Amino acid sequence: MIEFINQTLELVKTQHHGSIALILFIGIVFGMVIQWTRVDTFDKIAGFAMLHGFKVPKMLFFGIGIASIGLYFMIKMGWAHYHIKPITLGGLIIGGIIFAVGMAILGLCPGTGPVAVSEGNIDVAVGLIGGLLAGGLFTYLYPELKTIMGPNLGKLTLTGLLGKNADWFIFVYGIALIAIAYILPEREIEEEVGEI
Amino acid sequence: MKLPKRLGWKSGGILIALLIWFTFSIWGADRPIGASTAISYMGAWLFGLENSEYGKKIANPGAWEVIFLIGVLIGGAFTSIFITKTFKFRILPPLWKKHKNSSVASRLFWSFIGGFLIVFGARLAGGCTSGHFLSGASQTAISGLIFGGIVIVALIITGRTFYKNL
Repeated sequence: MIEFINQTLELVKTQHHGSIALILFIGIVFGMVIQWTRVDTFDKIAGFAMLHGFKVPKMLFFGIGIASIGLYFMIKMGWAHYHIKPITLGGLIIGGIIFAVGMAILGLCPGTGPVAVSEGNIDVAVGLIGGLLAGGLFTYLYPELKTIMGPNLGKLTLTGLLGKNADWFIFVYGIALIAIAYILPEREIEEEVGEI
Repeated sequence: MKLPKRLGWKSGGILIALLIWFTFSIWGADRPIGASTAISYMGAWLFGLENSEYGKKIANPGAWEVIFLIGVLIGGAFTSIFITKTFKFRILPPLWKKHKNSSVASRLFWSFIGGFLIVFGARLAGGCTSGHFLSGASQTAISGLIFGGIVIVALIITGRTFYKNL
């Protein structure tokens, strides 16, 4: 355990992506926003999978819509950089389906799950144990699995493909996402406190 | 000062956008937000696989995300205890009771399966809701948009078939 912590701190120090305090700060704000909006509940996430409540997609689309426009100009100004994940088509399709089935059943995902654990959801802690096992197994099987994850079609973005037209496209993109957030029904499941 | 007990989707979305900007910026972490790599990083370490091909590949982002998730746990616990006052040990979500069953054993079994599928799927896809959707779609990344589209469709199909009394 101590060895794990030391090794983790050492890795973070050598990679220049912020000090430990700064990363903790980012995590704390994330945890606070997710908990405060209560999108860390089974009721909100599985409720969306059942099409009973729409707070989760509304918040996601609204947040991404705003973030995309600002981020585009921040990158243009040199205040931020692109960090694009490759289009590994096989992995995206198979992985996306497996991920979504699990998300509908557990009612959480890797970012919101730890928030749910932090407020006392024992079932989600059991889900986290399942996740740790899956992480270990995936790491073990990676040499075989990487063949089905391809083909790798590169690290493409819509703004990159549009070149010069990206300056106005980013507004269309961002405003479209914000519009989706407004168009989705206001219906929301008011979560209750669960029981043991 | 009286703090609201709940934030709506608009305030939540604006705060998440601000956090994405800060995290991406050169004054922040100069990297995207992500969560699922941390789980495999810890899983790999538990099974002594940190020096395997994939273990080495995810060491740096995994370590960063572990610190991030420690912050998430602190922020979540603090908010649930002092602001929303929702902290409570519990197992059965009310909605599970309404649309699945009242069995604790069944909920724990399915939670384990669900958690397993989420992390395995996220690793195959190379990211999760945070990495592909929040961070990826904010950069108009095609990988994130493909992932987001597939996840929304498969999530709804599972939700409408796995649960009953809809």
